[in-house]
Amino acid sequence: MTRRVCVVGLGLSDGPVTPDMSGIMLEAQAFRRALDDAGLETADIAGLASAGYGGMHEVMLAEYLGLRPRWLESSSTGGSSFEFHTMHAFRAIEAGDVDTVAIVYGNNQLSASGRTLGTGGGGGGRAGMAMPLPMAYEFPSGLTLVGAYAMAAQRHMHQFGTTAEQLASISVQTREHAARNPNAMYRDPITVDDVLSSRLVADPLHKLDCCVISDGGCCIILTTEARARDLAHRPVYVRGAAGGTTHHSIQAMPDMTRTAGAVSGPKAFAEAGISPADVDMFAMYDSFTYTVLVMLEDLGFAPKGEGGAFVTDGGGNLRLGGALPTNTDGGGLSSTHPGMRGLFLLCEATRQLRGEAGDSQVAGAEIAVAHGSGGWLSTQATVVLGTEPTS
Amino acid sequence: MTGFVAHNGVDWSESPKYLWPRPNGEDREFWEGARRGELRIQHCTNCGKHQHYPRFLCIHCGKTTLEWITASGFATVYSFTVVRQNGVPPFNERVPFVVAVVDLDEEGARMIAALPKLDPDQARIGIRVRADFRPANDDSAYVDFAPLD
Repeated sequence: MTRRVCVVGLGLSDGPVTPDMSGIMLEAQAFRRALDDAGLETADIAGLASAGYGGMHEVMLAEYLGLRPRWLESSSTGGSSFEFHTMHAFRAIEAGDVDTVAIVYGNNQLSASGRTLGTGGGGGGRAGMAMPLPMAYEFPSGLTLVGAYAMAAQRHMHQFGTTAEQLASISVQTREHAARNPNAMYRDPITVDDVLSSRLVADPLHKLDCCVISDGGCCIILTTEARARDLAHRPVYVRGAAGGTTHHSIQAMPDMTRTAGAVSGPKAFAEAGISPADVDMFAMYDSFTYTVLVMLEDLGFAPKGEGGAFVTDGGGNLRLGGALPTNTDGGGLSSTHPGMRGLFLLCEATRQLRGEAGDSQVAGAEIAVAHGSGGWLSTQATVVLGTEPTS
Repeated sequence: MTGFVAHNGVDWSESPKYLWPRPNGEDREFWEGARRGELRIQHCTNCGKHQHYPRFLCIHCGKTTLEWITASGFATVYSFTVVRQNGVPPFNERVPFVVAVVDLDEEGARMIAALPKLDPDQARIGIRVRADFRPANDDSAYVDFAPLD
């Protein structure tokens, strides 16, 4: 019989601003907290996954943490890396290659680099660095990371009549969640007008359409259902996972209104035996408001072209009490975004399914989806989590 | 060099060395063609399709049956943004400027480019533009796009 796989440990580091902590220290703190949360010790960890730095980071991290893992994973697909890690750990645990895996990420992005990620060459083109081919065809245009997403948003608005107000509403609703999270970076309520009157960074995206830059670390631990029975918390099951890519540079994106999420979402849902209507909460990589909007469509929560209406219908479907409470910790738009956010999505989804989300709890949440988006809408990966296994 | 003046009067004619192309056997024809004022792209004699940027094989059919052709340079804006903030020199002194992804009208290949001569207020999806060449150094030039009139 196939071995079922569960999330059994969660750890968040201090944050969102930690000027006296290195990235690897944030990772270690999150890792230690996840061990404590699960009731495990380092000797129990047989597999390690991490990404987001240079090559061999997961090896250095293993050494730093005092681990000698026999299963390693470092898929580096940007913000979706950790959904890929979860998918690969899921398969490896199912197959019996490894029992207990820690997935770890931490970065002092804000303290080390300031807010330069989106417009300071975070897309890859730092002054003085040689341009890696084939990005040599893009860098001389002066496009920024924000600008790549902005072009996709512009195309969606042109093709489907999506409005700046609808995009702004995503930011407004996410801020309401952040107001309930004492560790969120920004907690004061904002209005659609506030978003639209914040300065344009790359048309049509305003400053408040963009995620924050913070410090922070996160860790989740996965193991078998059998092992999970002895541990501290009610297990959360990994029920389905899938991923894919359509392009690297935005110039090679076949259709800027459709991502690889349109493939990974349905595939992961099918494996989990669910439909979009069954999903109780959505943890979505909100690098920008548009990233959320396009994925609401690609994953099937709204028909293609109607993501904007879905966001605002019924007084706001992303709110608690809405059809699809989304980014209930305040997301990257308001809470935490230390360079990459993919792992925090899995953490928040699990917290909700455990019923540990406090004032942000989605009542009776049984199925949650974590979806990571990396690069310039380039890589997508969907993970379905549930309080019960797929039957 | 006569200078390359953008819509807002900023001179784009000087490019820092880090932005200079480093041509090799795969793409020398593209960069040197641009220096001559020609938009050179690859055409696949097996499947008949075109591609940009230059590669070792055809992204449509996988064969290596690629030849160089000179594109007309006419294109339509698929999408664009106005870059209003870019912290990297020299772009920090050039903002605001339009960057677009354009589809070549005759060949169908898609490419990203700056449109320094286009007033950001005039930028629209669907407008037609044509290739415009801005020297990077003695050997290479960048392919920008510019409004038709």
